[in-house]
Amino acid sequence: MKRIDNRYALAVIYLLLTAYAIFSVIPFFWTTIQSFKTPRQANSRVPLFIFEPTADNYTDLWLKAIPDDPFFVAIVLVAIFGVLVLIAINARRFPVARGYVYLAVLALGFAVLWSIPGYIRTQTFYDYFLNTIIVTAGTICISISIGCMAGYGLARYSGIAGVIILVAALGFRSLPGMSYILPYWWFGQRSGLYDTHILLIITLVAINQPFTIWMLRSFFMNIPKEIEESAMVDGANRLTAFTSVIIPIMWPGIISTALFTLLLAYSDFLLVRILTQSNWTLTVAISKYAAGEDPGHITLAAAAAVSAAVPIIIIVFIFQGQLVKGLTAGAVKG
Amino acid sequence: MNRRAFYMFMSPSLLVMLALMVFPLLTSAWLSTQYMTFRNINEPEFVGLANYVEVFGDQKFWNAFTFTMTYIAIAVPMIIFTGFLIAVLLDQVSKRIRGAYLAAFLMPFIVVPVVGTLMVKQLFESGGLVAWLFREIIGSRFIFTEQSVKGLILVHALWAATPFPLIVFFAGLQTLPQELIEASMIDGATRLRQIRYIMIPHLRSLFVFVGLISIMDAYRVFDSVFVLTEQNPIFKAEVMMLYTFRTAMSVQRLGKANAMSVITVVMILVVLAPFLARAYKEQTEER
Repeated sequence: MKRIDNRYALAVIYLLLTAYAIFSVIPFFWTTIQSFKTPRQANSRVPLFIFEPTADNYTDLWLKAIPDDPFFVAIVLVAIFGVLVLIAINARRFPVARGYVYLAVLALGFAVLWSIPGYIRTQTFYDYFLNTIIVTAGTICISISIGCMAGYGLARYSGIAGVIILVAALGFRSLPGMSYILPYWWFGQRSGLYDTHILLIITLVAINQPFTIWMLRSFFMNIPKEIEESAMVDGANRLTAFTSVIIPIMWPGIISTALFTLLLAYSDFLLVRILTQSNWTLTVAISKYAAGEDPGHITLAAAAAVSAAVPIIIIVFIFQGQLVKGLTAGAVKG
Repeated sequence: MNRRAFYMFMSPSLLVMLALMVFPLLTSAWLSTQYMTFRNINEPEFVGLANYVEVFGDQKFWNAFTFTMTYIAIAVPMIIFTGFLIAVLLDQVSKRIRGAYLAAFLMPFIVVPVVGTLMVKQLFESGGLVAWLFREIIGSRFIFTEQSVKGLILVHALWAATPFPLIVFFAGLQTLPQELIEASMIDGATRLRQIRYIMIPHLRSLFVFVGLISIMDAYRVFDSVFVLTEQNPIFKAEVMMLYTFRTAMSVQRLGKANAMSVITVVMILVVLAPFLARAYKEQTEER
């Protein structure tokens, strides 16, 4: 398009865009600042921008006692997770199927996280963090596995049943979570699964399933039929063609969908709030910091909010291309 | 693909959806006819439509309903207008700068809603940035009252919900044929007229799509209202979902809460029916 060359008009455009950008990021900026203050500094009458930062809020939030050599521990942890992330990003260069590489990275990373309380005395906040990882990872694995099969079936089958399932899924997707979660609560109470990870995972899988199959179907439709047909001519049956020919070229789509599933599972509040008593995930644990009587609650809440936001921001930063692709592909097609 | 293979691929997902979406909805309808508290979960008492009668006569329900509708009526046009405006403006600047702006605009979208609400709330806390500005400009302290909490809920809606229409409209504008704009420039069309007669018609289907999603999201808003009213549960700042939640979990009237949930489902499906019918038609033609 021909650009605007009127200098004043351009200045106004940049001014408006910058104002909106500031509006978008100022809560992050301010909360991060607050999280490094002492309660006294945070409650000062005039907002402080220059102050001596303290990490006390974070250590109070995560740790019962600070380890003797905190820097060594930090460096080791950063190194381990750096290597794991590098392996995950370069998964396609390994001689085995990518799915196994991702699973191995996930298992290793989780083993490290699981063993940390053995060396360092951590707070319950860390347990909520582990719960979040278990629930999110479990939801992604199950949801994507069954969603891929369904999405593939829906992309290739032309019968009327496929259309009915898709439209019904759209209807289910539009209903508020509350209409499913109240019955889930009742199931949980009756079956004794209340307050377990299993209940959280299967219900999160179910609630996200309509979205998952729609999105994966749109990715599968972009893969030409001829690819699996040629494999089937060579003697593979449909299932083998699916697992060994289609899935390997589907990874970008799978990662995109997994990213959205991750965002949805990680951020779910209502479901976890209703279906758990003590096995909270981070979002529910954090909502407890929203209100408090003692003056320290503001800085602690800020540290909690930043702690929960950082993992997501890192993940989105790593996979940002997939996020925008998924957002526009899924949305523009409707 | 033949039918057998289709059902083979479809069955795990279909089973999950039948067991954990269709069946719960039916259970919810059944629970709505029971009198049930935390004490008699195992042997609820059948009361017919008494729960529905109670809901429709409940002043708090109507307050929550009114606030939800007000919220939709204000928030949805606000976020669609802002999203469209910013998308059009962003379309005018050079490609290199767009990425940085987009990254900033997407921040509220990717962050967890509860965390985002907590972050917005930080600005209004006693030592917060906006609370200070408020005191400097208006001269009085910012306090959490029914009105100010309602305002805060709307500010948060603008902050958290605008990125979605923004991205969708921006992506839509990228598919606008350049010839149309150029031809209109030769004909002497002003920028405003281009927006009115080229961009808006081009994005019409996206407006419908975004509007529908935004209305649904606004209807089921829960997290932000929950966090912002946690401190002082002022019932008048309650939305439908929050009132349903409190009826179930605090007041422990599960049958009544399920009745409210069924009312919500029916209302949404009535609004949604024409769109579902259209989606069905589109999909049958497409296959």
